[in-house]
Amino acid sequence: MTQKLILSIVTPEKQLVSEEVDQVNVPGTEGDMGILYDHAPILTVLRSGQLSYEKEGKTVVLVVSGGYLEVTDNRVTVMAETGEFLKEIDRERAERAQAEAEKRLGETDISEEEYIETQKKLFRAIARLENSESN
Amino acid sequence: MPNLKDIKRRIRSVKNTQQITKAMKLVAASKLRKAQLAILEARPYAVKMMDVLNHLAARCNSDLHPLLDEREGNKHLFLIITADKGLCGGFNGSIIRKTAEHLKKNPQNENSLIIAGKKGNDIFRNRPVNIVDDHIGWTKDFNYLKAQEIGESLATLFSEKKVDKVFMIYNEFKSVMAQEVIVEQLLPVVPEKLEHKEGSFAVDYIYEPDEEAILDGLLKRYMTVEVCRAFLESSASEHGARMTAMDSATRNAGEMIGALTLTYNQARQAYITKELIEIVNGAEALKG
Repeated sequence: MTQKLILSIVTPEKQLVSEEVDQVNVPGTEGDMGILYDHAPILTVLRSGQLSYEKEGKTVVLVVSGGYLEVTDNRVTVMAETGEFLKEIDRERAERAQAEAEKRLGETDISEEEYIETQKKLFRAIARLENSESN
Repeated sequence: MPNLKDIKRRIRSVKNTQQITKAMKLVAASKLRKAQLAILEARPYAVKMMDVLNHLAARCNSDLHPLLDEREGNKHLFLIITADKGLCGGFNGSIIRKTAEHLKKNPQNENSLIIAGKKGNDIFRNRPVNIVDDHIGWTKDFNYLKAQEIGESLATLFSEKKVDKVFMIYNEFKSVMAQEVIVEQLLPVVPEKLEHKEGSFAVDYIYEPDEEAILDGLLKRYMTVEVCRAFLESSASEHGARMTAMDSATRNAGEMIGALTLTYNQARQAYITKELIEIVNGAEALKG
């Protein structure tokens, strides 16, 4: 019998994924990680980037932005701020968001908080664009 | 004998009311659909968040973070969530009753309230209780950012030791027909004790970057998510309650119209009979 991980990916808007998979690859803040069966319990912060999982030889790719990953007892829980399947990404919107964020970051009247927020937006947009390029 | 004109006027006025309640029911139904979807989709995230936080909090010391700090004090803060509008059955009333019950348990000067919704504010404004803040009109423009703002203000009050416990009182959405008033302790966050099975032990996590940073981030997020969920629950419940209330109001109005129409017809018949008798009598008198 093959040993499976139970993966669930949730965002504040909805539950994206809830199924049994073979492997999960996530973008951790300290570097990308691959998670296989019997992984040690881990709790980590995610950055914006590409998350993929393998199921029966097929790979499904999502782009997530920020959030947390928990692994216990072969349950993988991803709590992302936003998450989209690769095929759902709206490139035009992401490009617009990137341009806007870059423009705003270049201005001088920006507060520290807004700077951080805008920077996050920029990373999110870049992550979306980079990962959807292959399509 | 009831006056025909009066009855007719009453029938018309009940009919008007029925039209209004019917319209309100339809509006509530369409809003309910949206609110229901929102809460059903937000729940999994909130549940997972709670799970992870529980796992984490059970493993680390409660003095690691101010929001986990269990204190002896008795200063309670209640965040109560009511609607801005009435006409939704016992929706607001049950919240207010529950709140009053909890306020009684504690000496007066140890309680404080944060009130969301006009209806709750109308009631508690005139009572001898300390109101820290109110959010009137939240039903119109509630979003995640608002929840964050409220969550942060609660966290600040708590970590500055102005209050020792924070509760939320809101209606939880059970189904379209049913809501349940929930009193939930928000702060300090009390982790459920992990079950220690024989032969197994709580394995410590590998943390990246480190425990404290993750805990801090998670707790902040948790506050927002819980507050947001409570508001969404309340909003779905409100529309459900209003729909049910308006449905029964429409039905009652229908019954009333039926009864009034019956009286009207009886009165009309009696009037005709009376006139006929008068005419016949008159004719008889002439004959004689």
